[in-house]
Amino acid sequence: MKIVTRQVPGKPLTVTIEYPEYTESVKGLIKRIESLDICFRAFLDERQMRIALSDVYYLENVDRKVFLYTKEDVFRLDASMQEIGKITEDSDLVRISRTCIMNISHLTEIKQLKNSHLEATLDNGEKLIVSRKYLHDIKRRF
Amino acid sequence: MPVRKILKETCMLASLMILAAFTLSIIWSGITAEITLVLALFGLALIITTVNSFFDEFLSLSIFLSYIIKYIIFSGIVMLFGFIAGWFFPSNFWMAFIYVGVVMVLAFVIDAFTVKRDIGYINDHIRNGSRNGDIRPELNRDGGQV
Repeated sequence: MKIVTRQVPGKPLTVTIEYPEYTESVKGLIKRIESLDICFRAFLDERQMRIALSDVYYLENVDRKVFLYTKEDVFRLDASMQEIGKITEDSDLVRISRTCIMNISHLTEIKQLKNSHLEATLDNGEKLIVSRKYLHDIKRRF
Repeated sequence: MPVRKILKETCMLASLMILAAFTLSIIWSGITAEITLVLALFGLALIITTVNSFFDEFLSLSIFLSYIIKYIIFSGIVMLFGFIAGWFFPSNFWMAFIYVGVVMVLAFVIDAFTVKRDIGYINDHIRNGSRNGDIRPELNRDGGQV
């Protein structure tokens, strides 16, 4: 694979992909590049901010309110888990339980605990409980 | 093609064949005892699958406890359904526990094995840094480094 980069002043960031044939790898690459453009409008102490998908560690629904977790901060989102699921389809965000969506690009390990619950560890050390029902969905992303 | 996919497609095709064959039988000869049994089994499967889906969605228990509770619930459903469909009588209602028990033991073994295999698969890919959509070396036609 060749990577060609060039500066073109006055034009928006453009990614051109040339391929000999359209394979699953190319399709996956396109989806991953597209997902880099996804941003969330989130609130921190009533201040509205834009959070890039790559900065999201996980999203959690607590008492019908959705919270977005980055490496260090927690934001509030004005969206339902269903809406987020639709927007982020085929991105790195994957549902891991009824109330939690995790960014698998920050996943470092999944393990089965002694009580047979599943636990995901993120690269900031945070641990999340994974429902067995959604394990297959995580596997499909790898 | 993976064996699992073949088995899954075989089961789906068998279900379709059964439904198609029995639909034609209903049209030609009406509902017989065999057709009633098959339709009842499909109905029971639908109820159990729906309950199982809700159970997995709303309860987060250990695999062992989850299967114990499911065993009790599904035995109850099969027993109730069996009484309504005329499969069981007061003298042999305990048969439901055996039928459900066999299915649950098989499901437990498959589930435990699948979870372990999936975790291994995910952790291997995390360690290797490979994901769906990664351009792998075999696709590298220019011989450059990926």
